[in-house]
Amino acid sequence: MDTDSTAVADSADENTPAGAAPVAARSTATGSDVVIETRNLSKIYKDFWGRKKVHALKSLDIEVRKGEIFGLLGPNGSGKSTTIKLILGLLFPTSGRVLVFDKDATETKKNEQIGYLPEESYLYQFLNAEETLDFYGRLFDMSGRQRKQRVEELLTLVGLQGARHRQLREYSKGMRRRVGLAQALINDPDLILLDEPTTGLDPIGIREMKDLILALRDQGKTILLCSHQLGDVQDVCDRVAILHQGELKELGRVTDLLKVQDVTEVHASGLSEEAKNEIREVIARHGADLKSMDNPTATMEDLFLNIVRESEARPGARRVSATASDEPAADEPAADEPAADEPAADEPAADASAADGSQAGSDKS
Amino acid sequence: MNLQPDDFWTFSEWLFRPGAFLESAFLQGVVLIVLAIVLGLLVGYVISAARYGPGEGFYAVARAIRDLLRTDLPGTSPSRIVALARLAFKEAIRRRVLFVVGLFVVILLLAGWFLNPESDDPARLYISFVLTATNYLVLALALFISAFSLPQDIENRTIYTIVTKPVRATEIVLGRMLGFVAVGTVMLIPMGLASYIFVDRGLDHTHYGVVEANEIDGRIVGKTDRVRKHQHTFTIEAGETQGLTNFVRGHRHVVTRLDDGSFTIGPPTGQLRARIPSYGEIQFYDRNGDPKDSGIDVGAERLAGGYGSAGISRLIGVAKGNRKLEHSYVEGGTLGMAEFTFDNVTRQRFPDKIPFDLSIRAYRSFKGDIESGIRGSLTFKNPDTGFSLTPKQFTVEEYQIDERELPLTFEWLNKETGEVETRNVFDYVVTEDGRMQILLKCLDSSQYLGVTKSGLYLRPAESSFAWNLTKAYGSIWLQMTMIIAFGVMFSTFLSGPVAMVATAVCVLLGFSAESIYDTRHFIDSNIERGGGPIESLVRLVKQDAMTTQLDVEGVANTLIKSADAVIVYTMDAVATALPNLPRMVSTAEYAASGIDIFNAVLARHSVATLGYCLLAFLISYFFLKAREIAA
Ligand SMILES: Nc1ncnc2c1ncn2[C@@H]1O[C@H](COP(=O)(O)OP(=O)(O)OP(=O)(O)O)[C@@H](O)[C@H]1O
Ligand SMILES: [Mg+2]
Repeated sequence: MDTDSTAVADSADENTPAGAAPVAARSTATGSDVVIETRNLSKIYKDFWGRKKVHALKSLDIEVRKGEIFGLLGPNGSGKSTTIKLILGLLFPTSGRVLVFDKDATETKKNEQIGYLPEESYLYQFLNAEETLDFYGRLFDMSGRQRKQRVEELLTLVGLQGARHRQLREYSKGMRRRVGLAQALINDPDLILLDEPTTGLDPIGIREMKDLILALRDQGKTILLCSHQLGDVQDVCDRVAILHQGELKELGRVTDLLKVQDVTEVHASGLSEEAKNEIREVIARHGADLKSMDNPTATMEDLFLNIVRESEARPGARRVSATASDEPAADEPAADEPAADEPAADEPAADASAADGSQAGSDKS
Repeated sequence: MNLQPDDFWTFSEWLFRPGAFLESAFLQGVVLIVLAIVLGLLVGYVISAARYGPGEGFYAVARAIRDLLRTDLPGTSPSRIVALARLAFKEAIRRRVLFVVGLFVVILLLAGWFLNPESDDPARLYISFVLTATNYLVLALALFISAFSLPQDIENRTIYTIVTKPVRATEIVLGRMLGFVAVGTVMLIPMGLASYIFVDRGLDHTHYGVVEANEIDGRIVGKTDRVRKHQHTFTIEAGETQGLTNFVRGHRHVVTRLDDGSFTIGPPTGQLRARIPSYGEIQFYDRNGDPKDSGIDVGAERLAGGYGSAGISRLIGVAKGNRKLEHSYVEGGTLGMAEFTFDNVTRQRFPDKIPFDLSIRAYRSFKGDIESGIRGSLTFKNPDTGFSLTPKQFTVEEYQIDERELPLTFEWLNKETGEVETRNVFDYVVTEDGRMQILLKCLDSSQYLGVTKSGLYLRPAESSFAWNLTKAYGSIWLQMTMIIAFGVMFSTFLSGPVAMVATAVCVLLGFSAESIYDTRHFIDSNIERGGGPIESLVRLVKQDAMTTQLDVEGVANTLIKSADAVIVYTMDAVATALPNLPRMVSTAEYAASGIDIFNAVLARHSVATLGYCLLAFLISYFFLKAREIAA
């Protein structure tokens, strides 16, 4: 857990000045360490006649920085895959922009540094694993020797050496997923986009996948993933954005988001406030070690369910709580609905604490 | 085989049409590409203006062009194209398209039963059959593999893993086209071999023996037995053991006399030919001996077809009417004749004889003696000195190539010395600069002989049939390439079945181009020949004849006629823009007739194919680039 010194001040005071923060933040955040930047990104799916079908993404502003693992969360159909496709240039924005490595998302050149694992395994069924990887290697203009070596490495990495000569049509879902992952890594990319990386994998596979993602991060790579496996997200992501019906509902460091700020966890019973203070004083005075006195953490599941529940009850733009933002609150979405929703901002956290915060917290610690 | 005016053009004559630039292929190509670009920009602008607004739309189009020139064309990598082509190839192969080769072999085996080797010209029958079968089979296959692949990739979303790699639209398009062309090539090779074997074996036969042989002064003259409804006569000169039979149905056999006095007859030879013709200029003279542009018409041959060579100038109405070479007739027993003037008749080209072929027709104005054919005569003449040889008589053999030769020496009675001299043709009959004339006359009065420019030619050399068949397959390969390019082009913006239909429509329009030109010509010159599609329908319903006035009054009539005009003019423009496939298919006719496919013809088909592929490539690029892959 984070060594947060605010343990004592069990309130969410610091969050209130959030409204002013974004403007200042945005100018500072355009440094070269921003790998993906979406600006006011919207996507409306239209039918053949140009009639609106689905408003899949509404004014999304996020930044993914170099070297982090960024998670996109949201219920089915909330626009996660849409966001990833927009980042890849597979879709064109209805309005707004996506910049990847400071280039427009439709530029082909950026793909040299990108690896993409699609939602499902969209691979050629008539090729075998080796041919598949060799083919994708060729698309990066890799030399024959390079390809051979890389294919070998990746087949070992995803554990498909035994099945390398079998056509993909014979593969199980998880095996296909593994080839898909290998394919995404063929060019040793700097930015990896994983659309639901753990679906279809066995528990060991999931564990390996998570380790791999962390290892890649440690190599300095940037990873954007979306997933329904909230536990996984919680385990690996540095920051997450939660989408609901195309709108950004929450954004911030995982550790911060999951910290239930206004709850203090003390394993004791029957204590009054004075007693608590006294205890603290006592501890301080005695210079002894304070072991279990912290804000408890909720699970990702709690947070997620709360946000979804709340969004369904109160549709519309939700002000992303500033608790979420880490350093200079950079990722604030445009606060287009100012005063009306103000009180709502802090509620999920409060709900979380009220509902099952303490319980969850104890689970966690 | 009756060649048309444009068949005689050299490659550069076809490309630039000196003196008639409006008809040139070059102009047609340029106009087509410019039009495609202008239309492309317009469509692109409209689409992006609808998507991004009028101002942004302009920039979007400009960006697309900049991308193509600045990054996509220079960034196109051959190895990526090869990778994608290999993928397309593998895809097609694993879809078992090679079964088509098997199907072809089965067709050949079945055809062995119903193709009649006893027909008059079995070689033509067999060659036409294999080439036609290959042609349509391969075109259908090209249509299928090219139109469905890309849409399927988009539908299966396998394309996602491609376009998220540094792959450019140029590479996707070229990779597909090349991959499928490779598939087609791999299939054409065994089909070609099978065809060759089939033709060769199908025409093979032996005569088992000799039914009659008489020895006169050591010279043996005899007759073979009847096999496949024909028999040969043969002669073996005195002192020889081998002799040749006469030509029957385009072939002859070697006959060998064995020691015990019996005969063996070898396999047929000379039926698979690739004659290299050398054509002359033709000039007709009427019955009074006055020069005329053409001879006499005996039918309605000139009415339809034969517009294709006029290019743009026909479309814009500068060139009117068709230009068809049909048989023109000379009247027998008069001064009427056809005069052929040949160039470049040299000792190098004809070292030991001057072979020439006749392929002419006869027209009887009365029955006459039907046992004997109509007779004609050939006179070899020096155009400068007027010196000519004694006319040689012959009997017309219709619908086949009558091979003859002129020996290089002739006997000549010197009136001064009274001696018979042996003279060389090159010294007397051919001019210094290598010109020679042949005059064709008809000897039977009131009967007619019909020829065209291609009806009488010198034959300085011969190519091999195998090579000629290869060339015919080359022509099929070009058609296939063109269809693949079109199929891929349509598949970049249409779904698979729709793309296939669109390509098929293009092919059909290309095939019926001449009928469309015909209809337009009839409308333009107010000839009643059924009119456009609506008028034809009305006539069909009313059961009216084609050549009567349309029996509809007033406004309805005007309405029908103008709607038809719009339709026909549009179809005319589209058909003019499309590749002339029937011309390419007709190269098979050369091979079937035993004439070497002109290299100029093949060269221009190649250039046209390349042009259309380029066009299809550009269009595909822009569509693919503008396409929202995941939408
Ligand atoms: N090609 C498309 N055409 C029309 N609508 C689409 C298309 N793709 C997605 N949508 C719609 O856009 C919305 C967002 O879809 P998206 O695939 O981004 O969701 P998601 O968050 O990835 O969901 P899941 O968790 O199920 O993968 C959904 O309502 C979906 O129906
Ligand atoms: Mg999804």
